[in-house]
Amino acid sequence: MSIDLLATGIALLTFFGISALMALSLNLEYGVAGIPNFGKALFVSIGAYTAGVTYTRLLPLLAGQEVIDPCGRTLADALQLRSDIMFTDPTAGWLNFAITLLIAGLIGGAVGYGLSYITLRLKEEWFLALVLLVSGEIIRIVVRGYDPIICAHNGLSGIAQPFVAVGDTQTASILFAALTVGFALIAFVYAERLIRSPYGRLLRAIRENEHVSQSLGKQVARIRAQVMFIGSFMAAVAGVLFALNIGFVNTNDYVVTLTLDVWVMVVLGGAGNMRGALLGAAVITILDRVTAIVAIQLNMAGSQWEFNYFRFILFGLLLLLMLRFRPQGILPERRDTTSVPLVFAEETADRGAGAEQPSGD
Amino acid sequence: MLHIDDVHKQYGGLLALSGASLEVGAGKLIGLIGPNGSGKSTLINVISGVTPLTSGRVTFDGHDITNHTADAVFRHGLIRSYQDPSVFFEMNVLDNATLPIRAQIGENPLLAPLRRLWRRQEETNAHASLDVLKSLQLARHCANLASDLSGGQMKLLELARTLQGAPKMMLLDEPTAGVAPPLAYQIFEAIRRLRDEHGITFLIIEHRLDMLFDFVDELYVMHMGAIIAHGSADDIAANPTVRDVYLGY
Ligand SMILES: Nc1ncnc2c1ncn2[C@@H]1O[C@H](COP(=O)(O)OP(=O)(O)OP(=O)(O)O)[C@@H](O)[C@H]1O
Ligand SMILES: [Mg+2]
Repeated sequence: MSIDLLATGIALLTFFGISALMALSLNLEYGVAGIPNFGKALFVSIGAYTAGVTYTRLLPLLAGQEVIDPCGRTLADALQLRSDIMFTDPTAGWLNFAITLLIAGLIGGAVGYGLSYITLRLKEEWFLALVLLVSGEIIRIVVRGYDPIICAHNGLSGIAQPFVAVGDTQTASILFAALTVGFALIAFVYAERLIRSPYGRLLRAIRENEHVSQSLGKQVARIRAQVMFIGSFMAAVAGVLFALNIGFVNTNDYVVTLTLDVWVMVVLGGAGNMRGALLGAAVITILDRVTAIVAIQLNMAGSQWEFNYFRFILFGLLLLLMLRFRPQGILPERRDTTSVPLVFAEETADRGAGAEQPSGD
Repeated sequence: MLHIDDVHKQYGGLLALSGASLEVGAGKLIGLIGPNGSGKSTLINVISGVTPLTSGRVTFDGHDITNHTADAVFRHGLIRSYQDPSVFFEMNVLDNATLPIRAQIGENPLLAPLRRLWRRQEETNAHASLDVLKSLQLARHCANLASDLSGGQMKLLELARTLQGAPKMMLLDEPTAGVAPPLAYQIFEAIRRLRDEHGITFLIIEHRLDMLFDFVDELYVMHMGAIIAHGSADDIAANPTVRDVYLGY
């Protein structure tokens, strides 16, 4: 029994970066704006499917080659072609990567915006949760059965991450881990600043009382749709990184359990607290990897227990315990304020004056 | 400034508004009174776009705002308060007052992360809010959560918040409910000052008639979803029908 610690560490870090992106996006939507997005897997999958399409159609073009049908009899040739390009033409690889991220983010964002605008204008927000949950499954089934996107249920392999061109596999995976963590960091800083701005105040107002917010001139449906755009953009970027990390795109990875994992991260870490989202992502990533490794070890030791299923029980239990004993999460939402520090000197001065007031009246 | 023409509102089998019409001239301070359940709050809900009306027409400042959304009504400068406490309880007092301020740079999700773009404006806004809170004796609570305020203080905060939306006209649903008499009197004085100095028009629902009668230019009386009387405070006090259905003397 030997575990390559460095490789495990790199894998953990990469998964953490990707999970953190998903958790931050749900935390912005649900934790801050109160939108129960139960379609996280849908938006992540949009990123992965986009990568499938660009790696098979756009990448050859960028490298000045002819596009080969990736699914039919030319499957092997197409696979060879995209692998070759990624190893030999890093410029095309990187360009393709950048365009993939952008397109994935925009499509994900647009779908999030559109779905929330349609549903939130009509009904309660939990209606959106249901629509998203079902949409994710419908899209998954369609993609599974429809060849041109990712070769239906076969999926696509050879979706290499852009650092493979450096040659050494370990260096490449270290660099990719750093890249994913970098993306997570950007998302964290953005989200953190957003919630400490007047926009954060606006989102919390809508979360608490949408009707009063609207009476105060806030365009609730539009603002919620904006948040869904931002969150879904992040989720789709996470989806691209997810696909590149494992090297293939398959509809089986984007099922409801993915959505639920992200929910556990947010509830565990602390809804509304961005550090909490990072913490939740870290804890769940580690638990996920540890249980996977234990499962493999047990299997090899000849155990008839399918330990993989324990993971679901464990996460479910964790969720229930948190909701029962610490619903605010490990790191509760901070009572952030944008305006008070700006008038603080005066506020304290007023406190002094206020103490004298009763005798004056 | 505000014209309400033959407005009906049906809730299932209940006709909460049955052809209510009224008119509020610019710069006027108008009271709206009537027994519990006579439809006063419903009228404000319908005007402010909170509930859709069944039939009728509402125009404000030259615009037909019939069945406009609540945020559109706000943008026209018609701002309401609520009868039940409706502050943002999980938010501090200063943020409550600052939220409705218009054209906030920091409310754009692309600009919001760049603090230096909105900091100066936010500072100005926060000071403006603090000034309003001071005038309503809430300044010392500005860093506290709104949920920590007393019921009367919440009404005051709501008044402050309404003001911060830069209204041309305010629809106030019982602005002094739960407020001690001296402060209630000050609220009415503040309202009169706002009218006199800033030309803000008011339609005020109140059950505290003693004070209301002292301050308003005209009164409308509602009963069973319709306006049954309209006139000066003296006219209304002397009106036998109004005495019968509402005043009770
Ligand atoms: N959302 C609603 N659904 C059903 N009926 C309603 C609704 N809102 C108000 N009503 C009914 O409409 C009628 C008028 O209510 P409204 O709140 O307008 O009265 P009001 O004049 O403001 O009374 P009060 O002085 O007690 O505040 C009441 O009979 C009430 O039960
Ligand atoms: Mg009422």
